[in-house]
Amino acid sequence: MKAGTGPASPGPAPSPGASSRRPRRRRLVDDLKAYAFLAPYLSVFILFTVVPVGFGIYVSLHKWSTTLGNQGFAGLSNYATLVEGKGYYGGEFYQAMWNTILFVLISVPLLWAIPTALAYAVFRSPAKTLWRILFFYPSVFSVTAFGSAWGLLLATNGGAVNAIFHTDIHWLTALPMAWISIDLATIWATMGFAFIIMYAAVTQVPRIILEAAEIDGARPFARFRYVILPLLRRASVVVVVIETIASFNLFAQDQIMTGGGPGYDTTTISMNIYNQAFSSFDIGGATAAAFLLAIILAVIAFVQLRVSRRGA
Amino acid sequence: MATATIAGTSSRGAHAPRRRRFMARRSLSRLPTLAVLSVVGVIMVFPTIWIVSTAFNNNGGLATGNLLPTKPSLYNFRELLNVAQSGQPVLRWLLNSIGVSVVAAVGVAVIDSLAAFALARLHFRGSKAVFYVVVSSLMVPFIAVLLPQYLWFHWLGLLNTYGALILPYTANAFGVFLLYQFFLGVPRELQEATTVDGAGPFTMWYRLFVPLSMGITATLALLTFMGVYNDYFWPLIATSTPNMRTITVGIEIVAIGQYQTNFGALMALTVISVIPMLIVFVFAQRRLVEGVAMSGLGGV
Repeated sequence: MKAGTGPASPGPAPSPGASSRRPRRRRLVDDLKAYAFLAPYLSVFILFTVVPVGFGIYVSLHKWSTTLGNQGFAGLSNYATLVEGKGYYGGEFYQAMWNTILFVLISVPLLWAIPTALAYAVFRSPAKTLWRILFFYPSVFSVTAFGSAWGLLLATNGGAVNAIFHTDIHWLTALPMAWISIDLATIWATMGFAFIIMYAAVTQVPRIILEAAEIDGARPFARFRYVILPLLRRASVVVVVIETIASFNLFAQDQIMTGGGPGYDTTTISMNIYNQAFSSFDIGGATAAAFLLAIILAVIAFVQLRVSRRGA
Repeated sequence: MATATIAGTSSRGAHAPRRRRFMARRSLSRLPTLAVLSVVGVIMVFPTIWIVSTAFNNNGGLATGNLLPTKPSLYNFRELLNVAQSGQPVLRWLLNSIGVSVVAAVGVAVIDSLAAFALARLHFRGSKAVFYVVVSSLMVPFIAVLLPQYLWFHWLGLLNTYGALILPYTANAFGVFLLYQFFLGVPRELQEATTVDGAGPFTMWYRLFVPLSMGITATLALLTFMGVYNDYFWPLIATSTPNMRTITVGIEIVAIGQYQTNFGALMALTVISVIPMLIVFVFAQRRLVEGVAMSGLGGV
């Protein structure tokens, strides 16, 4: 894995002939040449990420309608409304936030544990390529494709699962089944990514360590728990951070499978923000909500990385 | 893989009988593992078989619990692709998705390769600052950028155009980071050889670094293609007319629209949407898997 072996310190390698005693004009020419290479990237990045985010901050400080545009300066009131839980969307912001956190708390551990267990199982099994394909292939489904498919599989009337088991379970229209269904579909469709990362990490565990443990009489589960798992720390952190961010963004499969219901019970923060911007046309408030979420996410990612480093 | 070969050769040494006993016990202990894998494997395959079977079943749009079509037919596809009947330009959606993803993938490959080369191999003032900006932009969650981008494209008057569907994808910090790591590993001697020939940085990039990084650049392009093709939120808000929709958005329109109860047509659309991705997957499965593995390990 070449990517993992790169030097930890960022910054460029000094190119040959680049001494600090170059004539000033020569140095300027070198700088210009380097920035010519960076120009396409930086111009796209500035034009379509930096400037929009700056504009977004401006919009979030205004009463801003999605259709009518600027309706006047509002200061921090968009943020205050959300934090205080006032108003239609302010009140639902907390509910949606709680729904999302609930989903994250259930899905992230599963999206780590299941791929990790499977990665070790595949590692110990023959026909590795077959399993690898089997666990990764649902990645070809887009989020709307697997969402609509699972919505039909689990439909109460005429759904395949109820038809096969001759049951009458309200998979999508009652709690807690609605969350279980969304989790099931999400794990099915997206765990391939985590699986591949964990599998790559398992294959990096030095064979000699495993054989030593085996000769010492460690059972497969003990080898997994006490030999392999500690060595998967780095890959696990990657998976947990990626899955946390992905789970916080839960939107399309939820929208299609349950429409945020029953009631408001599976409406996530992304859906709340989307509705605020495109159903109530309050894009100023929606942008404020998005930034608030971004700050929360940044804090969580920071804490996760911090905790994982301290424990190492 | 390398370690596996070494272990394999050592088994032919003095401890061969003991090794063999180990191997025998090991294959026995594999049985529960295989059982678990098989159960999960069936769960993984079952939905897809059902999707395909429902798509090819002419059952008045109703679903069944059957894993084989009771009345095999192309009826659902014919109904779906007939724009006059369905009112949905499904083929147009598909072409939009493919076109946008291909252009974005090629754009990312070129733009990121240029940027990564400068960061990894050229000596210039401000290189550290640029590097940190690129890496920290990886941490910005998409929701914080999405609505501002919508507002910005609205202001530019570019909503509902191909420009809106492509441009936001073309600065890909992850790609820069991936190629940067690769370029750092290119031996100094190779670069010196081209410098001695009197080649400028562009020639060096084009003649040496581009050919050397073909594999990883192709992986980056493939991952970008998949990401853009399957992206949903941005094309949903950036487009508004049926002709500008991508297939991913189209599925949602059909799913919560008039075909809500027509399982067959919806699954036919799902099957159609997966075909380009499936082609990519079949031809580049190994490369994709390696790319994901590398991206994860190199990411932190």
